[in-house]
This record gives sequence, structure tokens and C-alpha cells, in this order.
Amino acid sequence: MVVLTTNFGEIKIELFHDDAPVTAKNFEDYVKSGFYDGTIFHRVIPGFMVQGGGMAPGMEEKDGNAPIKNEANNGVKNERGTLAMARTMDPHSASSQFFINSTDNSFLNFTSESSQGWGYCVFAKVVEGMDVVDKISAVSTGRYGMHDDVPKEDVIIEKAELIA
Amino acid sequence: MSSTLVIADLHLCPTRPEITACLFDFLNEKKGKHDSLYILGDLFESWVGDDDESAFNLSIASAIHAFSLATPVYFIHGNRDFLVGQRFAKQAGMTLLPENFLTKLYGRSVLFMHGDQLCIDDIDYQKFRKKSRSWWWQKLMLLLPLKKRQKIAENYRLRSKLSQQQKNEDIMDVADREVQRVVFETGCEWLVHGHTHRPNIHQLDNKKQRMVVGDWYEQGSVLELTAERGQLITLPFIKS
Repeated sequence: MVVLTTNFGEIKIELFHDDAPVTAKNFEDYVKSGFYDGTIFHRVIPGFMVQGGGMAPGMEEKDGNAPIKNEANNGVKNERGTLAMARTMDPHSASSQFFINSTDNSFLNFTSESSQGWGYCVFAKVVEGMDVVDKISAVSTGRYGMHDDVPKEDVIIEKAELIA
Repeated sequence: MSSTLVIADLHLCPTRPEITACLFDFLNEKKGKHDSLYILGDLFESWVGDDDESAFNLSIASAIHAFSLATPVYFIHGNRDFLVGQRFAKQAGMTLLPENFLTKLYGRSVLFMHGDQLCIDDIDYQKFRKKSRSWWWQKLMLLLPLKKRQKIAENYRLRSKLSQQQKNEDIMDVADREVQRVVFETGCEWLVHGHTHRPNIHQLDNKKQRMVVGDWYEQGSVLELTAERGQLITLPFIKS
């Protein structure tokens, strides 16, 4: 289990090592190395998701590790409370950024092995602290340079830890 | 002095009112003072069909229409608003042009286009482009109820938000070999396009030029063409 301690409260996460082994391990490695400590949820869209894991306060992008393969064809659905990997248009380009679905987002699910149909790989779910996610979803957001939907008040992952 | 204005990539949407305000100021100020206005695509962030007559869409149509009474307006589709049809064009007083429009301007041969067709290294996109520009795909799409089309566009918009990159990644640059091919095959002196969000005037062989109009994300961006040259002009947004 992973605990994200944020300035909004704690979010406890269970990783799906069986369904998404590469993605779950990738996330775990970032947690162990302390990569997520001090990063922010930089994109918050209520009724959709909250995204983080790749930016420091001030929207400074952190360099992640090499991209991983997309395991969205595992059939796990983007439902409320699940975590999935953010990526570029290239389906196999996820590195450190992830998002927490704040609602059922079926249009993000895998449909086919094409650039349009790969979808977003779910690799974990929130087991405690969805109220914290909902609090984060409710922050006021605005534009920051090239970015939209950026929280006006920093939502910081102070610490990400692996616990037994 | 005779001159022609070119704009592109405004990506108008109700959530960015400062862009619309900048366009309206631009249209008011330039009305009747130039030979014509070319809009080279992506006027809108998305366009799901001319039957989407929202107050926002109608306000844009009406502003462009007022401008067109004094200055002709030409429109080439972009990769966001390729479903703009004759009905909206008429409401906005615009003439729809083919995707590659070769014309004579002040004695020069000028080729206007959106520019996405030059990005041939983005193979996935070019496949989608071919499909989405076909009459059968557009016909099928427009047969869907408006609400369904709006949902598809909204889902597309949300998916694009999940990008992990800093910049808008669907903007690739042109492939030089395709530029060379197009310039050679059409014999144009000036190739004028948008899409890449990299405003610049590039010198090509034989004194030819490739002029790239800028986007309207942080400021308005206009290309003014005269007999002698093209000049890029920026228009600051008025902060609300």
C-alpha cells in the first residue's frame, strides 16, 4: 500500500500488481526513490480527475524515468477512485504523471490497440481518503502560463511512502 | 496601401473570453481598411456541426459577418473546425476555400493552407486527417445527434488534458521535404499557413518564402501581406 500525505490530508492507495505489473512497479519505484515528495497536483478538473506526479510548485516539470508500456488492455476500468497513468498521444509514453479518476470515465478505457483506442492504464485504487480527493477536486483553479486548470493554491504531495 | 490580413489558430471557445474580445477589437479596427481577410483554420477550438447554434457561435458569426460587409473574408478549415459548413460560412459572411488555395496576390503566386497537411511525419494524425476529411466520415458524423457529437468533442478535449507534456503536443512542426515538394509542385512564391504555432517568416530557395501565422493563446497574431512583403504583428490581450 502507498500513502500520499498531502496538505489536504492522506490518500491510501492499493496497487494492482497482478493486473498492471509494469505500471504498478513503475509507480512503486517513483515512490521509493522519493520522486513524488514535494510534487503537486497540477491539473484539477472537477467531475473528471486530479492529476499530479510530475511538477514541482511553480509548475516546474520534473524529469521522469524512461516511458513504460501501456497495460490498459488489462481490462481494468477507469472508475471513480482508480488511479491511471497520464501520457502523451503515444499510448506507450507514461512516466511519472498519474491521475485519480474522480468519477467513472469510461471513455478513457481500452478499446483497441490503436493510438485512439489504447486508453489509460488503471494500476491502483484509493482505499481510503476519497474525501481528500474530493476536497482537492473542489479547489479553485485558473490559468498558469501555458497551463489551464491549475489550482490557485498549491496541492502538495508532501510525502509518498510505501507501507506494509 | 493595399494589404491582406491573415489569421489562424485562434481556438475560440467560451472559456477563453479574452481571445474572443481580442478578435472583436481586431475586426472592429480593421474593418474596411484592407483588401481581404484570410482565416486559415482552427478559428474554433472545436466545431461539431453548423447546427450547434450556441449564443457563443452566433456571436462570432455575427462579428465576422459585420466585418465581411466591408472586407471579404475567406476561410480554410483547420484540424479542429473541419466540420464548418456552408450554413455557418453564410452566417459569418465567409467564403469557404479548398484546403490548398493557390491564388495571385499583388502579382505574386501565394498558396494558403492550414498547414497540418505539411506535418507528414505524424503518421497517426495523417491517417485520421484522411478519414475525417472524407465526405462519408463527415456525413456519418453529422448524422449523429448534436448532443452525441458534443459529447464526443468533450471527451476528446478531456483526453487531451491528460497529456503529461508541458506544451500542446499535437502541434508538430512541418516536414521540410513536404514544404519543398508543395512549393515546387505549385510554383508558389509565398506559402502561407498556420497550425504549427511557430510564427515566423522562413526564407526558401529562389527568394521564396514560407510564412507561418501565430496562434492566439497568449496574444493575437496577424500576418499582413503587401506587394512587397509579409509582416507578423501581435495584438496584446486586454486583461479582464
